[in-house]
Amino acid sequence: MPPDCTCQNPLVPSIVKVVEIVDETYDIKNFYVATDQGIPFEVLPGQLCMVSLLPVGEGMFSVTWQAEDHLQFAIRRVGLLTDALHEIEIGQELGIRGPYGNGFPVRQCEGKNMLFIGGGIGLAPLRSFIKHCFRRRKRYGQIQVLYGARSVADLCFKQELSVEWPAQPETRIFTTIDRPEADWDGKVAFVPAYLEELAPDPENTVAVVCGPPIMITLALKSLQKLGFKDDQVITTLEGRMKCGIGKCGRCNIGSEYICLDGPVFDLAHLRHLPPEW
Amino acid sequence: MKSFAKSAITVVLDRLAEQTRTYVPMRDGVTSNFSPWSERRASDLALNSLNTTFSPKGIVFPQTERLYDFAVDGQRADISGTHAETGENILFGARACDRKAFAALDQVFLRRGYVDTNYKARRDGLTVIGRDCLQPGPFCFCDSMGVDPMGADGADVLLHETTEEFGWEPLTEKGQALTLRLNDLLTEKELIRPESAGCRLEVNVAGLPEKLRGMFDSPVWDELSTFCMNCGVCTYICPVCHCFDIQVMNNGSSGCRFRCWDSCMYPEYNLMAGGHNPREGKRDRFRNRFLHKLEFFQERYGSFGCSGCGRCLVTCPHSLNMVLVINRLGEVKVDAS
Ligand code: FES
Repeated sequence: MPPDCTCQNPLVPSIVKVVEIVDETYDIKNFYVATDQGIPFEVLPGQLCMVSLLPVGEGMFSVTWQAEDHLQFAIRRVGLLTDALHEIEIGQELGIRGPYGNGFPVRQCEGKNMLFIGGGIGLAPLRSFIKHCFRRRKRYGQIQVLYGARSVADLCFKQELSVEWPAQPETRIFTTIDRPEADWDGKVAFVPAYLEELAPDPENTVAVVCGPPIMITLALKSLQKLGFKDDQVITTLEGRMKCGIGKCGRCNIGSEYICLDGPVFDLAHLRHLPPEW
Repeated sequence: MKSFAKSAITVVLDRLAEQTRTYVPMRDGVTSNFSPWSERRASDLALNSLNTTFSPKGIVFPQTERLYDFAVDGQRADISGTHAETGENILFGARACDRKAFAALDQVFLRRGYVDTNYKARRDGLTVIGRDCLQPGPFCFCDSMGVDPMGADGADVLLHETTEEFGWEPLTEKGQALTLRLNDLLTEKELIRPESAGCRLEVNVAGLPEKLRGMFDSPVWDELSTFCMNCGVCTYICPVCHCFDIQVMNNGSSGCRFRCWDSCMYPEYNLMAGGHNPREGKRDRFRNRFLHKLEFFQERYGSFGCSGCGRCLVTCPHSLNMVLVINRLGEVKVDAS
């Protein structure tokens, strides 16, 4: 947690420019943003930023990749703000404030085997951690990524999933879709079922789960069945957010705020909180 | 002790307001609120109203407040004019309940990692003149919530009320500064400070936060919330409720972002883009509000999110107020297993 600092108004954004837009799927775009000097501020994998299209509104997004000279946010089109964001072009200036939240425990996970479990756009925050591991490949053990989406058209980061990541040492990528499709010869299964079928070994492994709430709930159950202890499972939660700094009251789960104390929680901790996510 | 005659109240208020905007309890139609003092409304002075309809929280946390302006031109965007108000204000006649609520708001806005710039500017510029609460009203239960109606916490000056006089006790540097301003209006007198009659209404909160930890799934929440209309008035009049929304005013090429009070009673409060709502039903929202005040606030900041001011007892259209809820929660037997 940052020190109680009054240096700058934490609710006022600074300006960044969109330097690249990549179409990931029909409803997901990855926005690369930067200032003329590079990144607006340091962001850790799993942390959040409040991104605004000034006349429309602001929304909280988890960082998808913290590159050296820009930040990436993969954003699905689901509402007013994201609809408008999907219309912008390279060169557009946006507001950004943050970073918010704790981020993934990247240091504590060093020396462990990593099991990433993602559903849909839930791969976006996981990707910030996955790519972090690949950057420091030797510090992490075996890496497994299990990713599912509704259909082939909904799979994002396809190039990385099918080519770049499988080429990494000691890395296995499992991709699945919910229903059979004509030109898909890969796996068809829901993520939790596939997880139980793959039955990864919990020994010295940390599982990181992110996806729609129902997928998280079921995947957490499956992990428990497979013998994962509560402190070996971490997840990152979403909530409606306005301030990002634990003041507006909105994103609480019990006495904790997702924006400040989260968005990353381990299951041992989550069990003490009401199931309101 | 320094003091002034009650009959001289308008002279004292005039003097204070000469230099500094001074908020005083005033009648305003059928309600009473802390409003800036002006002599023309002397007949509306409502120093004894118990309690004012709205709390003074709006002085440090306005109902609507501009955060910054922006301008857009094609793809370009600019941010300017951040609006932290730095002026000085005086709050006159704040009772212990409302000062306790300020202490709770301070916890939220000034601690835990981030300092809220706008709140801090207003809070730093505020001098609080508290007053004894000799006769708490029929809906007051502050002493059950750990508040002393005669206490001095959170006051820069404390007014001691006797039949004819207000004793003037400065407690901080800010208070001393005001004393200097009023010097020729204050006389030295021996005052006998009466005792407070205390609150007639009592609740028992001993052990409640611990008990509530095991009551999240209790059917009592369905029962209690049955008649709640989710109107949200409780959150507006509550001196501790601090939830806010951030919204945009868009005039095309320019506009501003502002924040305004929001209510956890409203379905949109937690509704995410995409349609997921973790507190979809009114039971969920009702439960979260009361657990927040009685359990979560205590866990996070070490005090209750309620100061016993009694406003929700007056205002809730279905009397689903704090006292009713605490009493009912107290009755519920929880299985220790
Ligand atoms: S977004 Fe305001 S408290 Fe978390």
